[in-house]
Amino acid sequence: MKLSNPLRTGNTGRVVALCGLIILLPIGYSAVRALIPQRSEVPQVFLEKPLAAFQDCVEETSYMRVHHMDLLKQLREDVIRDGIRGEVTLEQCARCHTSRERFCDRCHQAANVILDCFGCHYYPEPGSEAQGL
Amino acid sequence: MAVEFARLEGRSKPYYTAMVVLAGLGLVGTFATYYMHVHGLYLSGMTNRVPWGLQISMAIFYIGLSAGSLVVSGLYGIFGQMQYKPFARIAAYLAMLFLIAGLLSIFTDQGRLDRVLVEPFTHFNLRSMFSINPSLYSGHVMICVIYLWALFREKGTLTKIASLTVVLWAIGTHTGTGAIFAFVPRELYNSPLLPPSFVAAALSSGAALMILVNVALFRAAKRPLADELVVWLGRRLLAIFLLVTLYMMLIENLHRSYLVGTREAGLFFLFGGFHSLLFWVGLITLGCIIPAVLLFMRRTGTSVNWIVFASVLVVVGVLFERFLIVVPGLIHPPELFPGMEITSSPIWEGVVRYSVSFPEITQALGVAGVIGFAFLAGLKFMPLMPTEARAVA
Amino acid sequence: MDRREFLKKGSVALAGTSGALGLPLLTSCRSQEAHADGPLAGRKWGMVIDLNKCREDCTACVDACRNENNVAYHEDQRWDIHWIRKVTIESKDTSNPIEKSVLLLCNHCENPPCAQVCPVQATYKREDGIVVVDHHRCIGCRYCMIACPYNARFFNYRENPDWPNKEFPKRSHGVAESCTFCAHLVDRGEQPACVAACASAGEGAMAFGNLDDPNSEVSRLIADRPVKRIREDWGTEPKVYYIGL
Repeated sequence: MKLSNPLRTGNTGRVVALCGLIILLPIGYSAVRALIPQRSEVPQVFLEKPLAAFQDCVEETSYMRVHHMDLLKQLREDVIRDGIRGEVTLEQCARCHTSRERFCDRCHQAANVILDCFGCHYYPEPGSEAQGL
Repeated sequence: MAVEFARLEGRSKPYYTAMVVLAGLGLVGTFATYYMHVHGLYLSGMTNRVPWGLQISMAIFYIGLSAGSLVVSGLYGIFGQMQYKPFARIAAYLAMLFLIAGLLSIFTDQGRLDRVLVEPFTHFNLRSMFSINPSLYSGHVMICVIYLWALFREKGTLTKIASLTVVLWAIGTHTGTGAIFAFVPRELYNSPLLPPSFVAAALSSGAALMILVNVALFRAAKRPLADELVVWLGRRLLAIFLLVTLYMMLIENLHRSYLVGTREAGLFFLFGGFHSLLFWVGLITLGCIIPAVLLFMRRTGTSVNWIVFASVLVVVGVLFERFLIVVPGLIHPPELFPGMEITSSPIWEGVVRYSVSFPEITQALGVAGVIGFAFLAGLKFMPLMPTEARAVA
Repeated sequence: MDRREFLKKGSVALAGTSGALGLPLLTSCRSQEAHADGPLAGRKWGMVIDLNKCREDCTACVDACRNENNVAYHEDQRWDIHWIRKVTIESKDTSNPIEKSVLLLCNHCENPPCAQVCPVQATYKREDGIVVVDHHRCIGCRYCMIACPYNARFFNYRENPDWPNKEFPKRSHGVAESCTFCAHLVDRGEQPACVAACASAGEGAMAFGNLDDPNSEVSRLIADRPVKRIREDWGTEPKVYYIGL
């Protein structure tokens, strides 16, 4: 069975353009996704309530749900690059959110977002002595 | 003289067998890379003393091969030398694929594959050759695409401009690749001659591979290839490139061994280990001198079979040369305490050994498989090969 | 193609190509260097090690570093990481036999080749002179290891099985690392783990302080005693000084 060959000499330009489109399409899609402001696509799962009132948190809950990673990234740039070790630390978060499994993992598993943090950073067990993250 | 190009039929048993084998290699290599990404690069033969090994050697080998192919293509594109027109499209396509192979080899060698497609493009370091080079490489690929398109369209002026651009850009790319090693304060790396010697070896290996690929393709496709064209590629191009490569090797090693500061390292490179055997026997004798003699002697230099044999020797020799750029500089220790030697340490402080591991070899074969598959597929779907290649009157 | 058509198409092609190639360069406009007015300014951390005081059988600094920083140890010389290591050197000249112990660690050079070559600026020099790796950004290319002339940098080839200090992160496999002068301790006003261990369990051979402060211990030692750095001729300007090398 002979398939019609799209690459008859006259079509080469179109094929090259098609290849370019295939290459550029995912790049363009990622760029557009990165540039438009994110909606809060947070799954509704039951998360363990923090120990303290949530007014004591760094920001309010709706903001934290969507932007906690931006906050963490800014924190890490400040600490690592500029040595600004301020009041907000990861240890502070764990004091109220005492269980990683019942807090971080639940939402991340439902949202299917990989958690890269805990291969290096230690999340203390509830009631354990270790403070650091 | 009009040269007609036609696609490969691509329905023969050898063709399908080759495609299956190459695809299989590609899949196995991809799996090996993924497995190492999950479990760690300790599965390779690399260690804390030898952090770069087979993959980086293959990467610079592939990148070098792309230069030689392009120069062949450029001879038609820039100077309008009609005798090279039959090879121009294959050369341009092959050059693009070799550069992609180089990028793939580097890619498979990174510690964090999940970051390597993000961080280098969002955080740039203008002072790092490893940061400048990906821009050079991707630009190179794009210009190759434009050049190939110009060749297909037979647009004379665009071909000329694209060809000149791509050859100049290629020299820049290969100088940059050589600079990855030359601009680093290691005794056996740090040499201003390394970028030009890298370009010279690239031109030799590329021209040799062009000969091999074209002779093999034309024979497999049963299309006539005039002997004179192969002789032109061999005696006019390859022989000159070989002499330049040999000259560069000579000066580099003489310089290192002459100066007191680098003498110990220079002599270690020349006589200090298994790599010395690769250098003298593999690169100098088999890779440079014997092919040069074969090409310059009238009896062998005008015979296609002898030229093919010489080309095989050159390609293998340059493969050794790439390995010799990367590994001896790492297995040789830096002299931290002049006049003293380190007699005990928790790490290896002296000369160490490097041996490849099976997963590493699988990765390298995988890259070769992917590129080979892409090459054969391109031959089938694009008119890259001429129906016949005759000598210009 | 006539000249006009050529000019039109050529300029489009040129614009497209330069745009595509230039995009990554735009990201370099964002300054990645540390800020000059932060809490790290005004300090240049350095170390002075008195090899004459270093006791032959003592490994306090090495053990303290490994336990503080979760440095990977696999009992395999291929992949073991040593942010600080103790080596013995002997003179090659047999007529003048000298044998001594030397502590080797990252020199936190003022002109660090590792930071110069890192393609993503994951390895960089902080404002206070400490050369650190941002392990969130490191892609594991190991170019910094190639560039370091002192062989002081290491790569995590496999996952670190131990985690002695849970208050400090460990590194997963795939990133490069080297001694950080315990930046996390120094930022709190403490001494690096090796220096503290040497003072308490060893012979007090290590001093750490601000090289820009003429009254600090390290500045006074450098001014008063004959100090030497490793291979000063390389031009890297290391900040680890040795007495008795």
